[in-house]
Amino acid sequence: MTTNKAKDRKLKTNEKQKSIIDALKMHGAKVYDDLENGQFPKFSIPSRSVSNIVYDKKIRQYILGNSAALRSSRNSSQLRSFTQLMWLAFFANRLTQEKKSSTLRDVYYSSQAFDIEFEDQSESDNIIVDLEAILSKPREDFHIFPEERSSIFGDLNIEYTIPGYEGKTMNLSNHPDGYAIGPSLTTAELLDTSAEIVIAIEKGGLFTRFVEEQVDKKFKSIIINTGGQAPRSTRTLLKRLHDEMGLPVIVLTDGDVYGEHIAMVIKSGSANAAHLRDLTVPDAKWVGVWATDIEKFKLPTIPMTESDIKRCHDLQSDPRYQEGIWKKELDVFLKIKRKAELEAFSKYGLTNITEKYLPQKLELAKSL
Amino acid sequence: MSSIKEKFNQISPSEFFYRNRDLAGFSNPTRSLYTAVREFVENSLDACDQKGIFPDVHMSIKAVDSEKPDPKPYILTVKDNGPGIESKHVPLAFGTVLYGSKFGLKQARGMFGLGATMAILYGQITTNKPVFVKSSTDGKIQDEFELLLDIQKNKPVILKHTTKEVTKRGLSVSICLEGDYAKAGSKIKDYVYETSLITPYATITFDDPKGEKFHYSKIVNEMPPAPTIIRPHAHGIDVETIRRMMVESQFEIPTIDDAMVEKVRKDLGLGKKNLAFTGIMDKAKKRWKTLSRPVRVVIALMSFLKMDFDKLNKIRIEDIDVSNKKLFYWDFGDSQSKSVEMDSESPYYKQLTGTIQGETLTTFLTKRFQRIGPTTAVKFAEFAGFKPEKRMGSMTNQELVKLSESLQKFEDFLSPDPSCLAPLGEEPLEKGIKKFFKPDFCEVIQRPASAYSGFPFIVEMGIAYGGEIRPGGPHVYRYANRIPLLYDEGSDVVLKVVNDSDWTRYKIKGDPPFVIVTHICSTRIPYKTVGKENVADRPEIERELRLGLQFLSRKLAAYMSKRGQAEMAKKRANLYAKYIPLIAQFSTELSGKTKEPNYKKMLEEELIVDDKQS
Repeated sequence: MTTNKAKDRKLKTNEKQKSIIDALKMHGAKVYDDLENGQFPKFSIPSRSVSNIVYDKKIRQYILGNSAALRSSRNSSQLRSFTQLMWLAFFANRLTQEKKSSTLRDVYYSSQAFDIEFEDQSESDNIIVDLEAILSKPREDFHIFPEERSSIFGDLNIEYTIPGYEGKTMNLSNHPDGYAIGPSLTTAELLDTSAEIVIAIEKGGLFTRFVEEQVDKKFKSIIINTGGQAPRSTRTLLKRLHDEMGLPVIVLTDGDVYGEHIAMVIKSGSANAAHLRDLTVPDAKWVGVWATDIEKFKLPTIPMTESDIKRCHDLQSDPRYQEGIWKKELDVFLKIKRKAELEAFSKYGLTNITEKYLPQKLELAKSL
Repeated sequence: MSSIKEKFNQISPSEFFYRNRDLAGFSNPTRSLYTAVREFVENSLDACDQKGIFPDVHMSIKAVDSEKPDPKPYILTVKDNGPGIESKHVPLAFGTVLYGSKFGLKQARGMFGLGATMAILYGQITTNKPVFVKSSTDGKIQDEFELLLDIQKNKPVILKHTTKEVTKRGLSVSICLEGDYAKAGSKIKDYVYETSLITPYATITFDDPKGEKFHYSKIVNEMPPAPTIIRPHAHGIDVETIRRMMVESQFEIPTIDDAMVEKVRKDLGLGKKNLAFTGIMDKAKKRWKTLSRPVRVVIALMSFLKMDFDKLNKIRIEDIDVSNKKLFYWDFGDSQSKSVEMDSESPYYKQLTGTIQGETLTTFLTKRFQRIGPTTAVKFAEFAGFKPEKRMGSMTNQELVKLSESLQKFEDFLSPDPSCLAPLGEEPLEKGIKKFFKPDFCEVIQRPASAYSGFPFIVEMGIAYGGEIRPGGPHVYRYANRIPLLYDEGSDVVLKVVNDSDWTRYKIKGDPPFVIVTHICSTRIPYKTVGKENVADRPEIERELRLGLQFLSRKLAAYMSKRGQAEMAKKRANLYAKYIPLIAQFSTELSGKTKEPNYKKMLEEELIVDDKQS
């Protein structure tokens, strides 16, 4: 049974990899044929301009509209970026074939070995997003990863798929500092778990506290530190935990507008990644810290800054903030103009948050 | 009063110019050397132009003592292959002020030949050395003079005159003068260089005191047509000029001396015969149509005096009072003034009044001005409030002023005749510019003739871009009557027009390598200063310059956008050549192929297309 499941998963991983390689090969062959026929090759890239980003209520995330930009090697002002894109596809193909991973920074430097110039890293980052848009796949799929800053802890068995570690398993509760969520973890097979919920928490400090207080055991949970805005690899892992392991996901953030939005991005993605699917956990729940909690739990507060207030107004026009707690809490934040951090609970003792607040919220989450 | 007047009269033109030599450009050793060069070179070029000879001018400046510091004496020699000056005119031409052959109304570099004499005068004052003139008009015999100028008397002093056999025609003038070549050198070199640009049909050589040789060969083999001498235009005239023209229009009452009497007798076919008064009158009537004007006047006088030749010999006509119809004469026999009545009905009366009062207004206008026909003359008379048959001699001072003012104001005169102008012509100008600047682009224009204040003028212009032209343009080369204008640029009308141009509108940006050449030809260039370095901004001239420049700028803009396209195409081709191979390389590996696609043909086709575009 287990071996069959594992086989299935392995097959799935291989399929995923194959589909990327096939897509890259298809694009490469098209360019090759164009050149062979004396035609200037071109790419159609879905437009990521603001006017082409729309909110899809059905799948509950931002997606790209139908407009696309043509990047042609005939056009001398696009030739350079066309070549860059072509190189990246070529580079991504090598990475994927060889199962090697690379970071954004790496890509920027690697380009120089092929006489491809990028002005700076933001230019190469942009090209990476172009390729994501063309393939409709996140860069992690073609083995380009951001710097790691988020981590995971809890009773979860995984099996590595990356070269050199294939077949090796690991339990993610073995090391109290948690495990960095990097390429090897994101691509690993998720074998089994005793956990019944995933708790994503915004801050490293609280993550450590939760591990110390054995929240994983007490509440049968997997704890994930998002390190602020959750990186895509973390969001991918959250989605996999939800979809593959059937675990509900709750999000715990600071009691301010940025915290609220961290939860929203896990739930329904960001406009920046409108060209990508499969990064969201639509069923994820934000359980706190809410604006209403500030008064309810008599938390020490600090006043909102001007940029906090501006952010509130910005989000008010976001279609996802038009109803439910999202709208309600946003309005309260704007009303009280004060915010509270997760650490504020320490006023009532270091374990107050795990012993009093968290149980209440977990209970509440069931009804959300 | 009278004593001052006497003193004025005693100053000869030489002395006047000596005292005012600053005006003529001889204020200091630097400027004087430069001015002297100009005057002699321009005289040589003018002389050749007038005779249709391709000028070959050789100029040299040698220090008398090269060790001495500047300013110091230099020997300036200018030698040409022009028509030369007849031996008998040489002393006067080079030894007096205001002697020259350039009084007619036509375009020439210099006027009146004043400057050369000034240079000689200046040389004589500063070094006390004579001028050496060698002239051959036939290419066989050359007259060689050594002259000094007697400043007070405005007369040449011939120190030496020899002749010698030669093989070449031409004139050579050599003077010794104090100069400062250290300071004037660059100016003189500029002058020679720029002169050769506007005189592409001339060969000019310059040997400088440091032993450097500057040689500019002629680059066109056609002479621009020589200007013709023409009558003045009514708009360019003043009272004083009218007065001088009137003198020409009047006929003197002939002096009745033996020679005159002899002439009358001969014209009447009298031979030795002595006829009585009535006989003479009869003969005169028969032959009237064949008689010349002076003879007719004598006959008319005799008719009123009723005298034969013997009696006529003993009197002198004093006055002819037309209004009172009286003829006054002095009788030598009685030693007293007498008078006779004149019968106004007599046909002889008309002959006399016509003689005394000169031409009628209409005749005066049609005969002495350009571009006025009988119809216009009558129309003008009406406009000015004169009878068309009004005799010029009967005009009062006030009437003359009125006439002069009306001539300026009357608008129906045709514009001045430009045939007295000698523009260089588009082709020689273009060749000159191309040869001198070796540009990538060159365009020239000759504007149609126009006029300001009765003086005709033509503007010629050229524009050149790129090639070997140094950046930092526009570099403006200004010419007037084929003379380069080198200094006082700031206040010049050409600079004003050029500076008004918004070059970015014509696709010219940054530090452009481009040159503008302007040439204004006129019978009178409206110089701002006596230094002849900048042209005043007469609206008519400014307009022509502006239109010319606009035309050329548009041509340049068209060229620039073509050039831009070609540059873009080249750039694009380079980009293709750089990136397409990379794309090919990546696509080969991506598609899992081993052999790269054949993209070379594509790049070649792209280049061919670009070539066609440019």
